[in-house]
Amino acid sequence: MIELKSTARSEKLTILKDFLLELKLYKTGLLGLGILIVYIFIAIFAPIIAPVDPNEPGLADSYAYPEWFSIFPEYSNLPRNVFINIGYNDWLVKDTSEDISINGDGEYTIIIAHCSDRIETRTITLEYTFTYTYDPPKRFSGRIPFRVAIYNATGSYIRIKCYIMTPKGRMYELYDSMSIAYNLSRLETPASYDARDIYLKLKLGFSPHDDLGEKILNEKGEYRLQLKVFILTVKGSGRVEVTLGVKQFRVYGRLYGVLGTDNLGCDIFSNLIYGTRVSLLVGVLASVISVSVGLVVGIIAGYKGGIVDQILMYFTDTLLFTPILPLIIAVSVFIGKSLYLEIALIALFSWMGFARNTRAYVMSIRDSMYVESAKAIGASDMYIIFRHILPQLTPIIYITLVMRVPGAILLEATLSFLNLGDPSVPSWGRMLYSARYAGAFFRFMWWWIIPPGLAITFLALAFVLLGHALDEILNPKLRVRR
Amino acid sequence: MSARGGGLLKYMGKRAIDRAAVVISSLTLQFLLLRVLPYYVLGIDPSFFFLNPNLTEEQKEIIRRQFGLDEPLLSQFVKYVLSLFTGQLGFSFYTRRPVYAELMERLPNTVLLLGTSTVLTIILGLIIGIIAVSKRGTRFDASVIGSSIFISAFPLFYVGLLLLLVFGFYLKWFPIAGSISRPPPRDPVRYVADLLWHMALPLTALLVTSVGGFALFIRNLFLTQLGEDYVITARAKGLTEREVMLKHVLRNVLAPVITILALEFPGIISGAVITETVFSWYGVGRWLFDAATQFDYPVVQAVLFIQVVLTVISLYIADIVIALLDPRVRLR
Repeated sequence: MIELKSTARSEKLTILKDFLLELKLYKTGLLGLGILIVYIFIAIFAPIIAPVDPNEPGLADSYAYPEWFSIFPEYSNLPRNVFINIGYNDWLVKDTSEDISINGDGEYTIIIAHCSDRIETRTITLEYTFTYTYDPPKRFSGRIPFRVAIYNATGSYIRIKCYIMTPKGRMYELYDSMSIAYNLSRLETPASYDARDIYLKLKLGFSPHDDLGEKILNEKGEYRLQLKVFILTVKGSGRVEVTLGVKQFRVYGRLYGVLGTDNLGCDIFSNLIYGTRVSLLVGVLASVISVSVGLVVGIIAGYKGGIVDQILMYFTDTLLFTPILPLIIAVSVFIGKSLYLEIALIALFSWMGFARNTRAYVMSIRDSMYVESAKAIGASDMYIIFRHILPQLTPIIYITLVMRVPGAILLEATLSFLNLGDPSVPSWGRMLYSARYAGAFFRFMWWWIIPPGLAITFLALAFVLLGHALDEILNPKLRVRR
Repeated sequence: MSARGGGLLKYMGKRAIDRAAVVISSLTLQFLLLRVLPYYVLGIDPSFFFLNPNLTEEQKEIIRRQFGLDEPLLSQFVKYVLSLFTGQLGFSFYTRRPVYAELMERLPNTVLLLGTSTVLTIILGLIIGIIAVSKRGTRFDASVIGSSIFISAFPLFYVGLLLLLVFGFYLKWFPIAGSISRPPPRDPVRYVADLLWHMALPLTALLVTSVGGFALFIRNLFLTQLGEDYVITARAKGLTEREVMLKHVLRNVLAPVITILALEFPGIISGAVITETVFSWYGVGRWLFDAATQFDYPVVQAVLFIQVVLTVISLYIADIVIALLDPRVRLR
């Protein structure tokens, strides 16, 4: 295995085969490799395994339970997501004044009222019926995109209202646009209502502490959503045009996905799956950087010796005695939160031990006979380093590369848990941070708290096991001791 | 005897200079990373975060001058190092109180928690490690190795969170936050009991994550010695395994044990930051974290300085102890 730089490709393959055969003898190493392959698979196919964007809020109610909880009777009838989009074809025109024309333009509903020779008020009622059979939800919301255009009829008014009617006939006004006497487009930024809105609660006669969903959607059966458009036209020859976009009505479910939702209504399972990428990236990249830095410093210090060695080792000691975590915390707070800064900081503070080991190793090689003779026949420093020293270091490089990863992964998780990670990147540490500070503990949401930590642990464990096996295979000294 | 003492003194002097130099360079590094890099390279003004934005530019300038932020870098650095070494830790930007007074409020709690955990780790680690190596190859040994490796993969904060979840939130046996009840009990016995009750979970978290690794380290260290001649001699004399381990092997492996314990010091402080944050323990670690997030420079610098000095002093003491134990070291 030490002879990895052999040129013939087939020879390399046999070495790899030998290595794998040997790895078979170390069952724990094989276990580590297996776990690692699973993680890499998850990281690569994350978008397929979890199709939901991990950062998208409002996918369901906040703190939703996992969907499979429905097998337990007390959770079985909790509300599911009911997301309704109502376009032109879905509306039922309940009643309308005669001189109004209603046309569809794709999903859009276009209502046109022409002015006549007197001031006229007209009403149009659109209705949509849906069935709701779950327990009362905590939250619902709706969006009403509309556009008002008044052509040559200044002084005309439009007013749009939205109602919901329960199966037993109770009626609630959810939205009121008030009078609009000017051209207005709310197609891009739709008018909306939300059951969490305190003014809405007060307007409907409830206390600010009530959940509107529980108060309104507490019957099972057919609910009717009504949209009423009131139009007042002035005398003249102009017209008024109201365009209604696709109206949304959402009942936020309290059962969602594989692991429910967090405090913002983001999918926890999606976060868990995508978190694999960050941990692997940080672990591997930080380990590669730290091993490279340690290798360069160690080789230079060990090979050159003298004053260079002393300066480099002094610098190494300085970093070694500096409290790493507190300093990283301070630096990442002061400079800013970014994934690559995090990786750089983790790498910057973890190469020292390897540099010291390499230096000791290089020193012993440097003083050996064959290096002396290579020097005697005029070999350059570079030649000696690449031809004689580096090949001998290969086993420790491999071992250290693997052994450094768990430390970096745990440090990344810790930083993210302290909310010092990149806020745009889903990571296991950040999941635990939000679980801690958004009340997952008070609600005893173990499905939010336990999986990310276990994911960290098993990924770190995979590298630890693999590292130990590599150590036994590649490190001849240890093998003798066995 | 005098020659021996002289050698030791010379060694101690040389070591003291080395260690002091490391403190200075560590402070330089901190100054570069915390003051020079954000402000002079990246252009982040620390005073931006605590100055009232309604103040005029002149008023802001006066306040900056009061805190000495307008002086040239080098003089800021010299002042900073000098004041640290003379024990003037300055005033917190945030609470406007002397850093020293605030430090003294929190230090006893941290020392209590981490001191206890360190002592217990050493004792338990030695016991478990020595038992494991005495029974090497048995099921006990294998389970020590396995569980140590498994636990080393757990992040400290996660162990803390799990303990909180199970014993704090679910079973409600232990408090979920704080280091003492409010108001603190008057009766001294009940005060101590209350403190221990608050300490139980953080202490357990620290122990769970550190004992395994230390026991494994002790086990492997002992294992390297077992083939040595003196061990064979001791066994041939008819000593029991227990006597061999405690009287002969332990003495021979003491130097690396002491070194690793001294090197653990920075790790202990990191542990303080995490544990105290998870369990809302009123100590230096959480203070440092809060101060860092509030851009409270004097506090951050003071705490980092104290930690570096403590680390270096503990390493220095370790050097001397090792030199006393093993005279060969002094000749190097």
